Amino acid sequence: MVTQYSMKRGWTEFLEANKKAILERWLDCALALFPEKMGYSTPIGTVFSGALEKILSSLGKRENDCKEALDDVTRILAVQNFPPSKALSIFLEPKLILHDIMMKTTVADTLMQEAFNSRLDALTLEAFDSYMRHREKIYQLKVEEGSRRMYMALRRAEA
Amino acid sequence: MSKYAPKLSELKKEFDEKPSVLKGDYSAQEWWDRPVEFRDGNWCFPGKQEVLADLGFANPRKWAATDEDWQLPADWQKTISEGLQSRLKKYRSLKLFLDSCVRCGACADKCHFFLGTGDPKNMPVLRAELLRSVYRNDFPLVEKILKGFSGSRKLTKAVIKEWHMYFNQCTECRRCSVFCPFGIDTAEITMLVRELLNLIGVNNNWILAPVSNCNRTGNHLGIEPHTFVQNINSLVEDIGDLTGVEVEPTFNRKGAEVLFITPSGDVFGDPGVYTMMGYLLLFHHIGLDYTISTYASEGGNFGMFTSNDMMKKLNAKMYHEAKRLGVKWLLGGECGHMWRVVHQYMNTMNGPADFLEVPVSPITGTRFSNAAATKMVHIAEFTADLIHHKKLKLDPKRNDHLRTTFHDSCNVARGMGMFEEPRSILRNVCNSFHEMAEDTIREKTFCCGSGSGLNAEEYMDIRMRGGFPRANAVKQVKDRHKVNSLVTICAIDRASLPPLMNYWNPGVSVYGLHELVGNALVMQGEKKRTTDLRENTMAGFEDGGDDDE
Repeated sequence: MVTQYSMKRGWTEFLEANKKAILERWLDCALALFPEKMGYSTPIGTVFSGALEKILSSLGKRENDCKEALDDVTRILAVQNFPPSKALSIFLEPKLILHDIMMKTTVADTLMQEAFNSRLDALTLEAFDSYMRHREKIYQLKVEEGSRRMYMALRRAEA
Repeated sequence: MSKYAPKLSELKKEFDEKPSVLKGDYSAQEWWDRPVEFRDGNWCFPGKQEVLADLGFANPRKWAATDEDWQLPADWQKTISEGLQSRLKKYRSLKLFLDSCVRCGACADKCHFFLGTGDPKNMPVLRAELLRSVYRNDFPLVEKILKGFSGSRKLTKAVIKEWHMYFNQCTECRRCSVFCPFGIDTAEITMLVRELLNLIGVNNNWILAPVSNCNRTGNHLGIEPHTFVQNINSLVEDIGDLTGVEVEPTFNRKGAEVLFITPSGDVFGDPGVYTMMGYLLLFHHIGLDYTISTYASEGGNFGMFTSNDMMKKLNAKMYHEAKRLGVKWLLGGECGHMWRVVHQYMNTMNGPADFLEVPVSPITGTRFSNAAATKMVHIAEFTADLIHHKKLKLDPKRNDHLRTTFHDSCNVARGMGMFEEPRSILRNVCNSFHEMAEDTIREKTFCCGSGSGLNAEEYMDIRMRGGFPRANAVKQVKDRHKVNSLVTICAIDRASLPPLMNYWNPGVSVYGLHELVGNALVMQGEKKRTTDLRENTMAGFEDGGDDDE
């Protein structure tokens, strides 16, 4: 218990201390997914920047409270021209970023890194669920649009 | 030389290393080296053979954008080349737009498709360059003067595919033109390229089928006169059930003062039909002497997305009908591109409509001299004028269940400069109205992402991308002011914003402006109203006992 407590505490502090650096690089990677790197002040840049920050903060907490932020990101990714594998790769990116930072700044803490990686893996799978929900929504919209367009015809047919 | 001037080596370094509008991150490649890839979701189904045959359009065949061979006619290069040359002679504006761009890039990040996709070819400057590069190659003098600098290229089949991809990722909304220091109208470049593509049978069924239907039966869905009348009559019954008032529209009535024309989406689609109910209530409220035509039964004009000749033909039928019925002037419903056609092209295409009178409101006496040439008044102007003269009895509390924001439709805002009239109406018919961010409304409004005939179901992915900047602006007012209603004055908006909101901002519904007018109108002889025109309960009227009236 004592070990776990100190690990958690060390982890939160580490994340807090390096949040800005991680976020900067992570956001850069995410925006570079687009054919022409997306600008920070564009609508997508703004949404990504807010959402990635929330996701990163939630990684330091016991409770996962980043569902909405995750949805905001995957909702954008799910309608882009690149495949799901490329879209969701942004959730694996922090592993590399964290590795680099650890190599440079602190003594490498494998336990902490493993914990971080497993949180990210879980997050990536959640992102996959969310991505799929948005894809399904697209198909649902197509069906709904068809009936709205034929509203009066359908109404007469049902009467 | 000034000591402050940058050194040549610095300039070279900057040019080589800095990503630029045209280079993007692909400095090793020319932009046209990157091939387009068609796959499901990023192309619209092509025009059906029978549709093309009906219209007498070129090259009817069965094909798909994903095919390697698009079965272009044998002399397609000649057709395009001669087509471009003849249009350059006909439209001086086109020549100016092609020659005057200095690639400053002011337009680059203003396009909703670029902001939603990050694809450099969606920068308006580069989209136009897709045509300019061919134009330069085809015209030796330009190439000679600008040798090695002009960025010209040969017209190949790959170019045609690229045109089809990117000129169908432009909704002709003209937001880029607002920021262009030369005023280049990129929408007209898109219109022109689509016209050229139609010459060789590269097309979009979602545009051509409505054109063909409109050409034959008078409206986009091909609804025949008796069904058109039945549809409106069943809305009349709904109005009777909801309000206890019997409105009495007339059809094809000669000698009426006003011919009312609205997009046919208002007659058959949800939520357009509720807007139609609003119009009918309004006309009854003021006792307007009007008629509806079952022949000119469409305000929209998909000819604008096809060719100049087709736009002219479809526009002409409204005026033929006005002449046949002997009305004094035209009143037009909530539509987008219909107003660009009427306001900017009608007068030189089919006008001036000398056989009509300059519109004068029979209720207020206001003379609409702004419509002196076209004789057609926008319903928002007409209603705003009625409200300004206090001719309407309104109870805005009846819209208290709606917290609204207003989406400026591109063609009404940028195409005819109408910003205040709809806002003035909205402020008078509801109590909760919150503007979206300043750089996303009025002349800087973001398109719904589905305009210019792109709201095909198979195109949903791209529509969601293109509509994201608009949706994002709505989300901000939703989060900040609990906005739940997006009000608009365009039929394509009413069709395309519901899925856009459903995807990006679930919980926000889409309304036509005159639907809210219809909710708020206190009609003579009406019964206690507890629900709005959609049969949703109105806040504060649940018991039916809280109405002032």
